[in-house]
Amino acid sequence: MAFGKKTWISALSLLVVTALALTGCGGSQSNDGSEASSPDGSKGASAPASQASDKPKENVTLTYTIWDQLQQPAMEAIAKEFTAENPNIKVKVEVIPWGDYWTKMSAAAPAGTLPDVFWMHSGQFVKYASGKFLEPITGKVQAGEIDLNDYAANLGSIYTLDSQNYAIPKDFDTIGLAYNKELFDQAGVPYPDDTWDYAKLAQVAKQLSQPDKGIYGFAAKMDTQTGYWNDMLANGGSIVTADGSKSGYDDPASIEALKARYQMILDKASPTHQQMTDTDSTEMFKSGKIAMIFEGDWRTTDIDGSDIIKGKWNWAPLPKGKSKRGNIINGLGNVMSASGKHKDEAWQFLKFLGSKRAAEITAQMGAAIPAFKDTQAAWVQSKPHLNLKVFIDQAADAAPYPAGSKAYPVWFPKEAEIMAQAWGGKISIEDGAKQVAAMMNQAIADNK
Amino acid sequence: MATRSQARSGKSNWPIHLVLIAASVVIIVPFLWMVLTSLKTVTEATQIPVKIFPSHPDWSSYAKAFEKSDFKHYYLNTAFSAFMKTVFPVIFSSMAAYAFARIRFPGRTILFFVVISVMMVPNPVFYTPQYLLMSQWGLVNTVTALWICSLVSPFATFMLRQFFLGISKELEEAAILDGCNPFQTFRYIMLPLVKSALVAIVIIHLLWSWNELQWPLIINSSPDKLTLSSGLATLVSMFSTNYPILMAGAFMAVIPMIVLFFIFQKRFIEGVAFSAHKG
Amino acid sequence: MNSKSRYVWAYAMIAPTLLGTVLFWSWPAVYSIYLSFLKSENFGLVNHWVGFANYERLFQDPEFWRNLRNTLYYAVLFVPLTLVFSTFFAVLLNAKIRGLSAYRVFFFLPQVTMPAAAAMVWVVLFAQDYGFINYVLGTHVAWISDTRFAMFALVIVGVWGAIGLNMLLILAGLQGIPRVLYEAAEIDGAVRFRKFRYITLPLLTPTLFFTSVVLMIGATQIFDSIYLLIGKTNVALPAVRSLVYAYYQNAFVYYDQNYAAAIVDVLLVINLILTGLQFAFQKKWVIYD
Repeated sequence: MAFGKKTWISALSLLVVTALALTGCGGSQSNDGSEASSPDGSKGASAPASQASDKPKENVTLTYTIWDQLQQPAMEAIAKEFTAENPNIKVKVEVIPWGDYWTKMSAAAPAGTLPDVFWMHSGQFVKYASGKFLEPITGKVQAGEIDLNDYAANLGSIYTLDSQNYAIPKDFDTIGLAYNKELFDQAGVPYPDDTWDYAKLAQVAKQLSQPDKGIYGFAAKMDTQTGYWNDMLANGGSIVTADGSKSGYDDPASIEALKARYQMILDKASPTHQQMTDTDSTEMFKSGKIAMIFEGDWRTTDIDGSDIIKGKWNWAPLPKGKSKRGNIINGLGNVMSASGKHKDEAWQFLKFLGSKRAAEITAQMGAAIPAFKDTQAAWVQSKPHLNLKVFIDQAADAAPYPAGSKAYPVWFPKEAEIMAQAWGGKISIEDGAKQVAAMMNQAIADNK
Repeated sequence: MATRSQARSGKSNWPIHLVLIAASVVIIVPFLWMVLTSLKTVTEATQIPVKIFPSHPDWSSYAKAFEKSDFKHYYLNTAFSAFMKTVFPVIFSSMAAYAFARIRFPGRTILFFVVISVMMVPNPVFYTPQYLLMSQWGLVNTVTALWICSLVSPFATFMLRQFFLGISKELEEAAILDGCNPFQTFRYIMLPLVKSALVAIVIIHLLWSWNELQWPLIINSSPDKLTLSSGLATLVSMFSTNYPILMAGAFMAVIPMIVLFFIFQKRFIEGVAFSAHKG
Repeated sequence: MNSKSRYVWAYAMIAPTLLGTVLFWSWPAVYSIYLSFLKSENFGLVNHWVGFANYERLFQDPEFWRNLRNTLYYAVLFVPLTLVFSTFFAVLLNAKIRGLSAYRVFFFLPQVTMPAAAAMVWVVLFAQDYGFINYVLGTHVAWISDTRFAMFALVIVGVWGAIGLNMLLILAGLQGIPRVLYEAAEIDGAVRFRKFRYITLPLLTPTLFFTSVVLMIGATQIFDSIYLLIGKTNVALPAVRSLVYAYYQNAFVYYDQNYAAAIVDVLLVINLILTGLQFAFQKKWVIYD
């Protein structure tokens, strides 16, 4: 039975080794790329002012986290160019899908493991800034290292809390009307243009629909930014009142706009909510089954990548409503973590991300509409066969994405759940809108 | 098939075959559909009326799925963490289960309860505290973080305890009379008797870690630190309802397990099935 | 060997499992109980003690009761169906028939298909217009977005995914039944069903007990398939939302860790009661040697 003892001892020692390995891991951070063999690891050398210093600088690897896989090549190109200028700083671009991005960040923030530099959305910004998880850049702005007036459409002001600046604008996005030229040609209907209003949209949608063939004129999807928010604004309604104190969903103009959109489903000019749950409406558009759909400019590369519709589609501006042409403009920002280990290097990279050069790369690769003034033309030309100019033109009248409050992350997901009941036919559109309004007002009151 | 087996066993087995064939068909439909869809074009996949077979197999979805994801690392990380999450729980749990089942010691009931009570806590509850633990140990975004929390298995402990409880006392008493200590009794007398359960547990743990979806996404973010299941979620976020690409990715994710299973199915299932009554 | 040194051996043998469990799993569970009595701000860095306020809010919330009902409804459908089918097929596959290994591979196939992948296929199969299920049945049902059918869709997916594993466990149990007993029965001329009823079933009870406890606990924790199959803009979500799904939404979408913790603590108590009952009643039907 000697062998038994041996097994027993080895099992125990395995446990001890495991325990040692665990405690031994403490302190080694994964995003720390510094090499122990570096000849001179002195920290001071990495200060930006000491660029001219002849001391060899510490090698650092920064993590840059984004949520859009389609933009990864452009972000990597920017990072590569940055490393060419700053050979001691390497940047690892990581993509976390949108569905998990904020779950992950909310776990990382209190643990102090936020990525060095990452994308920020206006809807989530207040929560992270007020918790002091983001590094303010006010000092750098005042020192003239960066000028927030360089960015278009007042984007520099989105990421401001208690007169502190936290983000450098990265890009902006607006909404357009994508249409399938082939389906228009077959019906002999002229393509949408800037003279269209919502009545025309509804009329043509009906005309182009062939429900028995599974082809619909319009996708009246239950969606906010790329859906009925535009309708509500165009009809003179609002999402949140201008002072942010109340919901705009129970505004009669908002309700009227929601009803008009839902009517298109009832008229069989759009697939039903169930059908759009089974297949994403943009995928239907990509497979040539939808004649018109509202989409964000960020889907351009994706839609154009579909073999079925490539060369057979284009963008038009959104139709005019009763009061104006509605649209939502949203801008992403690049932020840096307050608990990063290499904040000086992170700042260098953040500054580069906000530079004209980074904007040009973003534009040329067609990744997104860069926020930097006068660089948008390159983006418009990145796909000359598409009318990308509509997105720039619409930016002027567009309303900002209604985030920027602590209440937003609370009401936004609940909104989708209530509206799904209305779109699915369980409650009336009016009841749905009123329930959303009540819920939003409660959330606003709770999160003053 | 029925007549031949009839001839062999001398009894009529065809109703059994009928039931089994029908059930097999129902059970493998989703799987066949996955393969068929992955070979269709997007239009064919969502065609009305339903098109069962693609007009000609389109393999491009596989190339697209492969190109857009880091499958090489997904495979390696999944295989390695599945290994760790199987070997350790099996060793630790079999020892613990034996002690819980066959040795009367003070605190036995309460300690057993401590172990199995965590089975009643749903997984998402552990995400935040375990994330904090991992970040304190500096393990965020590492391959180690994928498996370290699963070194022990309350499930396996519970299951093996049930099997140990079912073994008659005589063998064990004889071993004790021979002067074996409890560990020796466990290792040489009792453990071989639950071999079938051990095989089952190995399979179950392999599958669980192979299938784990959310923890890898929360604790890790680099593509080279993700597993197949979580990598697949990345694919969904990219291609939404482009079913051919998603199905191609899904098929690539399950194929290693299926190959493994086909190779070892005799050992796996018959190990489970036939070792017990030899003992 | 005296009992003291047997104790030492026992403690040594349970030590790795016990320590690992406490470190990785028990304390987070205890922590979630603590969280349910707090109001946290700023991702849990600032906490205020609020006593039972979260529970009061929970018990007054009609949505909580609906989620509880959904969870129990799922368990009531899922557990017996899985047990019956798994036992049935395990008994069939325990016989000596041709093509045994092929059948076993087929039955186990869902098990090696990871849930994330399986859910994708089911979404396509269940689709209203181009789904294979409606095609075969000749129906036009919105399986996963009709409040009347969504629960059944989840149960179908659940049972489909659980049969292979549970069949295997029961098969292992079946193989543990000594052949001698059947031979004795054959001499008596017992027919198949009576053999099953009076020999197989009683001796299978320890396995069935374990399987039912694990299935019950698993069923009350249903989350993945709702998350993957139903989704958040689905009109049927309120009709199938489970307690764990509600936990997930509150903790990670609405950032209300405290209210979320209260939800799972109630689930924990329910599971403790259910498992306690199962252990208490096992004396009535489970036969250990």
